[in-house]
Amino acid sequence: MPKKKLSAKNKTQSTQRGDSIPWRYCILTLCCGLILVTGFFFAARQHFSSIDFGIKNSKLRKQIEELEADKRRLILSKEIALSPAEIKKAAKKIGLTEMTASNIEVYRPAPKEKSKTEKLIVEKPKLDFLEKTELLKKEDKKPEVKIEKKPSEAKEKSEAKEKPDKTKEKVEKNKAQVAKK
Amino acid sequence: MTRRLKKTTKKKNPMQTAFTRFMLVVAFFILWIGAIGVRLVHLQINQSEWLRDKAQNQRRDELKSKMLRGTIYDRTDRALAMSVKVKSLYADPREIEDVEGTAQAVAAALKIKPDIILKDLREGKENNKRFVWLAQKLDEEAAQRLNKTLETYNLRKFDLPKFKGLHWREEQKRSYPYKNLAAQIVGFSNSDDVGLAGIELSQEEVLRGNVIKRWQDRDRLGRVYEESEVTREPPKDVVLTISHSIQYKVEQALEKGAKASNAKSGMAIVLDPKNGEILAMANYPSYDPNRYTEFPTESYQNKAIQGIYSPGSVFKLVTYGSALDSNLMTADGMINCSKGFIEVAGHRFNDPHATKTMSYVEALAVSSNVAAIKTGLSLGKENFYLYAQKFGFGQPTGIELPAEAHGLFRSPETWNGDSLASMSIGYEIGVTALQMVSAYGAIANNGVRIKPRIIKEIRHSGGKPAVVPEVIRTPIVNPEAARGLRKMLRQVVVKGTAKRAQLNGYTSSGKTGTAWKYNARLKRVDAGKYVSSFIGMAPAENPAVVILVVMDEPQGGARDGGQVSAPVFREIAEQILPEMNVVPDANFVQEDLTAPEISSEIEIVELPETEDLKGEQSDQSQKIVSEKTTVGENKKDIKKFEKPVVQETKKETKKESKPPDENKKSVKQKTPVVSPETKNKSSTEKVKKKT
Repeated sequence: MPKKKLSAKNKTQSTQRGDSIPWRYCILTLCCGLILVTGFFFAARQHFSSIDFGIKNSKLRKQIEELEADKRRLILSKEIALSPAEIKKAAKKIGLTEMTASNIEVYRPAPKEKSKTEKLIVEKPKLDFLEKTELLKKEDKKPEVKIEKKPSEAKEKSEAKEKPDKTKEKVEKNKAQVAKK
Repeated sequence: MTRRLKKTTKKKNPMQTAFTRFMLVVAFFILWIGAIGVRLVHLQINQSEWLRDKAQNQRRDELKSKMLRGTIYDRTDRALAMSVKVKSLYADPREIEDVEGTAQAVAAALKIKPDIILKDLREGKENNKRFVWLAQKLDEEAAQRLNKTLETYNLRKFDLPKFKGLHWREEQKRSYPYKNLAAQIVGFSNSDDVGLAGIELSQEEVLRGNVIKRWQDRDRLGRVYEESEVTREPPKDVVLTISHSIQYKVEQALEKGAKASNAKSGMAIVLDPKNGEILAMANYPSYDPNRYTEFPTESYQNKAIQGIYSPGSVFKLVTYGSALDSNLMTADGMINCSKGFIEVAGHRFNDPHATKTMSYVEALAVSSNVAAIKTGLSLGKENFYLYAQKFGFGQPTGIELPAEAHGLFRSPETWNGDSLASMSIGYEIGVTALQMVSAYGAIANNGVRIKPRIIKEIRHSGGKPAVVPEVIRTPIVNPEAARGLRKMLRQVVVKGTAKRAQLNGYTSSGKTGTAWKYNARLKRVDAGKYVSSFIGMAPAENPAVVILVVMDEPQGGARDGGQVSAPVFREIAEQILPEMNVVPDANFVQEDLTAPEISSEIEIVELPETEDLKGEQSDQSQKIVSEKTTVGENKKDIKKFEKPVVQETKKETKKESKPPDENKKSVKQKTPVVSPETKNKSSTEKVKKKT
């Protein structure tokens, strides 16, 4: 059988064709692999980051819970400190005395000043003759309260009265000196 | 060689070989993926549940915890009861190898003897237990201290304490920061956080925290990376109508009064008659709910709603109120007191203080039994019964507290011949303190009774109100009758048996009551045991508060309601009215007077309603007050009479029952008994003469 001899041109074509096909497949496979690997890489990265976030999240959640518990404990200790019994103890330590009826200051609304028209409208209550006389009697029976001043107190008061006079004198003297100058 | 080479090059087409190889690889992959797929299908369909459980058990912890119990606040938003997180230490004996060493280490950390712990751990180990308590409900500081002391180095353990076999468990602890304050109202809960008394019990459903499940996924280092939980509605908070400040003042005054009169027990209630809110409800003796096990169980009882007592003369309000509403009498009308006694169905009721014809105002002021009985008889059985029911007796008030008593009030069919007469003066009937204060509240509120309430609102944990109780109003008597009654009650304080209830700066009104106690063993009243009470309101014309004070079995000198309970009323009212911003309607006496020093001569003059007279009269009244209070300055004269010696007669009373009202002279006629009140009177007279 006569042997077919491939021409040089055909040879180069065939070698070129045989070389190009595997390369193409290789590149394709490589690309696919690369995409796959990248996908895996991103998925793994996301997975680990989500775990990391989860850990951080749980830590923060625990921290919130602890802070809330602390807040409640502080509220409780505040309430204990503000309980009347504790305040009383503290007040006694400072040296405060107990409150009595006489040292309670009560808010009293100031008497309203009436307008002229109101004054005209409001009639004065008519008092009976007997009531009037009783009132007058009571007014007459005013007890004269004599306050005996102790000599030391009297001195102190007189001194207190004198003090402002001295200061006035001093001020006047100073003024005079300044004027002379 | 060249031939062979030629042959091989001829046989193997590179294209074909590449293609075949590629296809082989593809086929391999397909087979591999197919096999994996088949396996996956098998795992995910047939073995999914088993695998899921296995995986979860490896990495997931299931935690069960109880939500914190709701808080109980007072009306000013101060926490009266609240829960905080605490930790409890437990051991897993299966994990422990050296039991003795562990017991010693834990005992040293807890500062207790190791024997008990050792015994528990050994028992646990033998019985293959997984849970043994070591220390319960430790606060955060103690837990941290334990963590430090129990720390073992070179131990790989995820949780604290770093000690093999020991773990913490989160729990909650109920705390009552105000200790004894309002203990009977707030109540307490046990170690399992279940309410056992007071509001804790009645509002258990509202306050109870639900159990929540939580899942935690852990990585191989034990770090939690995922959490999930079943969300449930958090428990609600309860806001009470009481004010901690008023409650404290009331409790202090009550304790002081009870100790002064040597009473067995005492109770006091402060009610706002305008809206039925209880501002304070105190019991003496009290207990600390933080350590309730250390106190006797009797002290847990809220006697103000659970205790029944004979009201005595304070019940005359119902008698007169009913008669006024039925137009059977007027406050200024006259009544014949029939020489101080009356006989009803063979029972003689004595009353030596009221022996003549007098006005109803005077009759109530001196607490005339004859007048009250006559009024009650004029009403008739049915009417009296109906009115008493309208006032709220014989039925619970419906307050939001547990185990409220109904009281004892029989229907007219079961009454004896003298029952109506006895009931008219407050006998043969059992009432609770709350029923009594509610009835007086109706008179203070122009005849309209408002259902008393202790809960202001129930709110969500965020602060948004969830439930606001409804105000239920029931008209009982007409406003005219109520006004008439208030007028009568005012005279009791001004001229009658309750002069010690006169206030500094405010007008007041009220009624004293002194009743014998029923002895169940003797099956009759015990003449040696009393219940002394006073119910008053202030200011007299437009009451802002109704205050009840009851002393059980006062012993010693004074036993009347006017002597024992009225001063407590005074102390309470004088302290709380300024706090409530109630404008004074009488003059202030600048002297700091104690109750026994206030002679019956002191008369705080009420200011007239007209503007023009106000200034003049106030000055004048101040003068009068200052004149009369000079008596108090001569303390030497008064001190002589401060401690009267009262001799008790052991003689038992016969058929002739004379209720131990303020007119007790009738009971002890043979012995010369001088009450402090009368002695004070005489003292003031002497002082007057001197001055």
